[in-house]
Parts: sequence; structure tokens; C-alpha cells
Amino acid sequence: MSFELIKDILIATVPLLVIFPSLFAFTTWMERKALARIQNRIGPNKTGIPCTRIGLFGLGQPAADGIKMIFKEDIVPRGADRLFHLLAPILALIPAMLILCFLPLEFPWGKFMSAPVQAFLLDSAVIFFFAISGLTTLAIFMAGWASRNKYSLLGGMRAVAQMVSYEIPLVLSAVVVVMMVGSLNAKEIADAQTGFNWFVFTPWGLAAFVIFFIAALAETNRSPFDLPEAESEIIAGYFTEYSGFKFALFFLGEYIAMFAISGLAVTLFLGAGDGPFLTSAPWLSVVWFIVKIFGLIAVMIWLRGTLPRLRVDQLMAFAWKFLLPISIFNILLAGLSHFALDARVAATSDAILYSIHAPHTHSGAVNHAPPKLVAGQKEAVMGALHYTDKNWVGAMEWFFKAALKGHVQSRSILAWWFGIWAMGLTVLYVMAKGLDNVSRSEVKPREYLYAE
Amino acid sequence: MTQEITFWVLAVIAVLGALVAVRRRNLIHGVFALMIFFAALSGLFLLLLAEFIAAVQILVYIGAVGILLLFAIMLTERVTGDDARDITSRGSFWGWAAALAVLVFLLLPAIQSADLAQTAQPHIPSVKALGHKLMEPYVVTLEVLALLLTAALIGAVAASQGGEKTKEDSDDA
Amino acid sequence: MSILGGGIFKGMAVTLRNFVGSYFYKERLTTNDYEWRPDGALPQSIGDYPKEEGEQLSDTTTVNHYSRNFPMLLHDTGEPMDTIRCVACKICERECPPQCIYIEKSTEKIENADGKPQFYPAKFDIDVSVCMSCQICVEVCPFDAIVMNSQFELSTPDRFGGLLVRRDDLLKSNDYYHKIHPQEAATRDQKMADDKAAKEAKKKAAAEKAKAAAEAKAKAEAENESKEDAE
Repeated sequence: MSFELIKDILIATVPLLVIFPSLFAFTTWMERKALARIQNRIGPNKTGIPCTRIGLFGLGQPAADGIKMIFKEDIVPRGADRLFHLLAPILALIPAMLILCFLPLEFPWGKFMSAPVQAFLLDSAVIFFFAISGLTTLAIFMAGWASRNKYSLLGGMRAVAQMVSYEIPLVLSAVVVVMMVGSLNAKEIADAQTGFNWFVFTPWGLAAFVIFFIAALAETNRSPFDLPEAESEIIAGYFTEYSGFKFALFFLGEYIAMFAISGLAVTLFLGAGDGPFLTSAPWLSVVWFIVKIFGLIAVMIWLRGTLPRLRVDQLMAFAWKFLLPISIFNILLAGLSHFALDARVAATSDAILYSIHAPHTHSGAVNHAPPKLVAGQKEAVMGALHYTDKNWVGAMEWFFKAALKGHVQSRSILAWWFGIWAMGLTVLYVMAKGLDNVSRSEVKPREYLYAE
Repeated sequence: MTQEITFWVLAVIAVLGALVAVRRRNLIHGVFALMIFFAALSGLFLLLLAEFIAAVQILVYIGAVGILLLFAIMLTERVTGDDARDITSRGSFWGWAAALAVLVFLLLPAIQSADLAQTAQPHIPSVKALGHKLMEPYVVTLEVLALLLTAALIGAVAASQGGEKTKEDSDDA
Repeated sequence: MSILGGGIFKGMAVTLRNFVGSYFYKERLTTNDYEWRPDGALPQSIGDYPKEEGEQLSDTTTVNHYSRNFPMLLHDTGEPMDTIRCVACKICERECPPQCIYIEKSTEKIENADGKPQFYPAKFDIDVSVCMSCQICVEVCPFDAIVMNSQFELSTPDRFGGLLVRRDDLLKSNDYYHKIHPQEAATRDQKMADDKAAKEAKKKAAAEKAKAAAEAKAKAEAENESKEDAE
């Protein structure tokens, strides 16, 4: 083990260990205040600087919660499996922190270091992400089993069923992005979306993002899918027998998993560090990444304040009868549309290139003026080249310019493009509507014997 | 050097995990030890630079097969093995003899005569290469596997639904 | 033909309105922030709470007028024990679901605000750690003697008797009641006045009827006598 290796490991992991737990503390405060305001009340506003009356809008609340949980008595039920009771919160936290390392965060001190600062530069980072986030399921089962409590076990089983069911739409919606980029490497996916070329702006990307987000809500047991930890129903589900620091570990693990899955959603769909002013200040990519993560977390908190909880059969019906078919169909649609569009653009660009009879450099400069250069052909060629580079925003820009100049083939390309997108959107929407009718859970409420 | 240490550590963990999995009375402990075994295997795959297989090993074996085993164990009795039942295994001598025979006559010769490359791989195996191989030479295998899985899925759903007769019986009662 | 997921978006719009509105329109908030007491004092027991109207640890007039916490005994204007309305009928003690009221009736009567001799509660204890604020005691009281207070700063470090509120701490004046629950107090006063007026009208009508009956009887007797005289 060389010193360089240890130093590189520390440089890569310590920022994550420092930044994300402090973001966690901030998020708990934000969640309590935001939920309170949504519910027409104020939220914590007295816990500020201790031993004074200054309540800094309740910013001391996370610290107060942490101190309280550390000092609480650790109670283990008498018949419980002590080893598993101890291991479960640890096993819930470790995968959550581990998957943070797969996110393509470009910390700015990279130029001072010998190795790049992303912790795990794996070729198959995305699938590792899903693999390790599946370990949380195991921890929840362990927690439910080890508590020796009927309600914990019930909560644990329901949680495992929910998480296993929603993993499939999660992975399938990520497959769309992987298919479009052609690699599982998170860095490559991030690089493919520079220049506002985000995948969420395509119809199947948008559908995949919505499916991913819903499945992510279910994976991290957030409302409206928080049946496993339903506070008003089975007390706290698998959390019930945990007190003090173990509960704090579960809580921490849940929030860090939320950050990690939002991070993956940002990487796959929302551009992963892409934003304005990047060429002048490349360190802004970390800032944009975290801002986008917070945007998604804000939407999660918003949804928690808005929606009631789904019943367990509604939850399962939603996953298997609605999300799974539509995510499979989404992949089909993305592939078909891409092939159709690729073929169209390739045909047109070949036609353009053959008609010009002149070699082109990558920048599109024509070597010598051909005898018959139709207006807008240069821009069309630029567009075609951008398209093959998978820079769709750039390609669309160039095709627009060519079409404005009157280039007929660019117009037809743009017509096809928008036609395919419109058709894709319509088909997805119709399919979703149809599936929605089919996937309603058929459990009727019980008939009461002594009604009226 | 670090590779050797890592290999030995992972191998020891794997063997220990497998031993605990088969010897432990408490079934849940056994299944979790089995999952430790799977995780160690995944580490060994990573040592061979097969990232995709390592990830899929965790995803499928720990995340799916392990959970399935746990659900199946829920349906059995006497899961924790707390009762003082004495399990005497009568044929343990022949069991040991069979295991040793398999080791000495099948596994060791196979390992010693295998011609494994001692130098590094010519290229790092990648997911793209795997995908190409699945699409080009092995596409029929892929489709047959898909059909098999679909059949298993339909069979599972049909088996869990129960027959029409049982529904009528419960309606009459 | 409704948009798929339209309900969710409508819900999110409502919550967004709540969120933004809670910053600008303070009357939306169901709870109100309250100020610390100027001298920074904290109570040591419930008896420390001052009984004069308006001087509470926290300004209970800032909470909503329908906020209610635990019961209080009412007395009309004047000395509390001279104008107490409660006559220790023990209906509230019977009806209280968690049985947190303990009443001991006095052995002699004293004059109440109307001048009528009534019993009074020698002991009237409410255990506010048990009370669930259901207001059943208020609903069943025939004398409008017990109503709900909105005082909420009741925590105390004494865990044995700290949350057992005695009769003298429960007694608050009707003017205080008007201050914290103006509409409810006005309605209750109006009802009491109407009942009193109706009772008096009935008494008057009964008196008149009795008088008329007496006059009719006297007239009938006079006629009988004159008839007998005539015969």
C-alpha cells in the first residue's frame, strides 16, 4: 500500500464524507421548515444559539436532534437477535455512503493532485450503483427480523417487497440513457450532456426521468411510498425497536440514499454539472450538481407535503402494472426513434456530402468552393456532424440555421425530428393513460356487517 | 503484492462464509453468511477486472436470490434453530469420504492441468465487448434464456394464483 | 378527459400556495409565535401563574379565539369564591372520559352572585396531564361554570403534583373569558341572559296565571255564595 494510493483514496473520499453529512443536516432542517410552511405552521424556530433566546430560524435543530439521539438509551428487545440488531443500521448506512462515490463530481482541487478526484472511475459505474443500492433492502429486512416484533417484521417484509418491485422500473429507465450514450461510465454520461444537451429534453428522456423519479421515491421509502415507515399505521415499521444512535444511523442512511439517488438522476437526466458560466469557471460544475440535487430534494419534500400514502396493494399494482410496462415501452420507443432519426440524418448527410464533392474537415470548412453550393448546405453538414457526435442541441441549432437559409433537406430533417418527438410524446401519453386504467388496484373496501 | 493479499483475504472470507452458511443452525444467519460469500465472490470478480460481472453478481445474487431465499425461509418453521433438537448425521464418515474423493480425484487434477494465462489480459473486458458477444455469436442462447425466464415467470404467477376449484370451494364455505 | 397525473399537479399547486402564503399572510398560520415574558421569568409550578386577567406567561390573546387547551372554572365579576358559578353538581366529574376531575362538595351553602344559597366545590382538582381536551365537561355543565382555557405554558419540573391544578388556580373571571374567547363568551352570556329572561317570563306568567286562577276562584266562590244566598 503506497502512500500515494492512500493519499489519493483520502482525497477522493473525505470530501464526500464531509460534504454530504453536512448537507444531510441542512436537509433535515429544510424539510421540517418547508413541510411546516406547507401545512400552515412555522416549524422549529426556537433552537438557535444555545443558552440564549436567539432562535436562528431553528438552524440549531439538526444539532439538537443529533445530540439528543446520541444521549438516548439504547434499548434492545429481550428476544431480539443482538448481532443483527446492531448490524442492520450499519448495513443500511454503508451502501448509501458507498454509492455517493460513483457520482461524477469534479472537485476543483484535482489539478493539485496526481490522480483525478472522482472516487470510483469504474467503467460500469451505473450498474454498480444499482447493485449496491440493493443492499439497503437487505438491511431493512435485517432490521425488521431482528426486532422480534410482529409489526417490525410486517413493515420489513412490505419494505422489501416495495423496494424489490420498484428497482425494475428504476433500472429500466436508466437503460434508456445508457442506450443513448452507449456506455455505463458515469463520467461519459456526464460529458455527453454538456451544452444543455440534457436527456430530460427528449420525450423518452422525460418519460424515463419521471419514471426514475417515482421509482427513486419508492426506493428511499419517501412519501407517498412510505408505507414501511408509516408513522400512523404500524408505529414505525421496521424502525420501531430502534432508539438513540441506531435510529440516527437509519435516518442518516435514508437521507444519504436520497442524495445519492438524486445525484444519479441528475447525472443521467439533468446534465450532471452542466450549467451556465462553466467555460469561465470550471469549478462551478460541482455547484451546479449540488444545486440540481437540492432541486430534486425540494420536489421530494414538496411531494411529501402534498400526497397521501399509497396502500400496499396500490403500490404494488402501480409498480408492476403501470411503471414496468411503460418503462419497457419507453426503451422500445427510444431505440426505434433513434434508429429512424439516425437513418434519416445519415441519408441526408450522405446526400449532402455526395452532392458537394469536396472533403470536409471537422470544423466544416470547405476546402475549395464547389461549382453548385446550395444555400445552407454548409450549416446542414455542420448539423450532421454534430449529430453524429451526439450533440443534439448543436445539431438542432445548425439544422435550424440551414433551414432558415432555405435548405430543403434540413427542413425535412427538422420536420422528421419534431414529428418523431411529437409522435413519441403522444404515444407515451396514450399508453400511460391506457395503463392507468388497467392498473387500478381492484381491492374494494370491506363491507361492514353493522353498517348504519 | 496488494493483489495477492486482496485475493487471499477475499478467498478466506468466501470459504468462511460458505462454511458458516452450511453449518449454522439459525437459517437466517446462514443466509446472511451466504450473502457474505456472494459479496466476496464479487470482489474476486473485480480482481479479474470483470466489473460488469461483479456488479451483476451483487445485483442478482445478493439483491434478488438472497432476498428470495429469505422470503422462502419465512415460510418454514423453526427458523432460528433455538430448540434443543439434536441433529445426528449418521453417514458423516461416508460424507467426508465422498467430499475428499471429489477434491482429490476431480478438482485438484482439473486445477493443476488447467492452462491459465500467467500474463495480463490483452485487453480489459468491457461491457461493450460483452454486448457484442451476446448479439453476434450467442444471440440464440440469449433468446432461449429469455424464453425460459418468461416461462418461469408465467409459471410462478400461475402457481401463486391457485386453481379455479379452490375459489369455488371457499365461496360455498 | 383529465390529464394523467393532473390531480397531483393541482395538489402541488395548492401546497405551493400554502407555502408562499404562509410567509406573507400571517393569519393563515394555525399557530402563533409568542413573545417571552419581559422579565424572562419561568414558572416553578402552576400556582405561579398569575390570576389577573391578561397577565399570562405567554400572551394567550394572540392565539386563535377557538384555541382551547384545558378547562377553567368561571366566576362572575367580584371575588372568586363569592361569585363562583359551580355548584358541585358533579356532572362533569361523571362525564369526563379519562376521569381527570375530582370534586368534593362542600357541607354548607353560601350565597352566589344571584343571592341564592348554593353548595360550592370544596375541592375541585383537574389533572391536566390526563385531560384530553375533549370539552365534554363544558358541554354537560348546566350552569356554564366550566369552560376551556387556552393557556398552554403549563410545563413544570415537579413530576408528582406539578400538573394537578387545584380549584383556586382554576378559577378565572368571566372578563378573562371574554378576552380570550370573545365570540364564545358573548354567545354564552347571551344564552344565560335569555334563559334567565325566559325563566322570569315563565315565572311571571305562572304568577299571573295563579293570580288569574285565584281571582277566578274567588269570583266563583263569590258567585256560589250569592247563589246560595239567593236560594
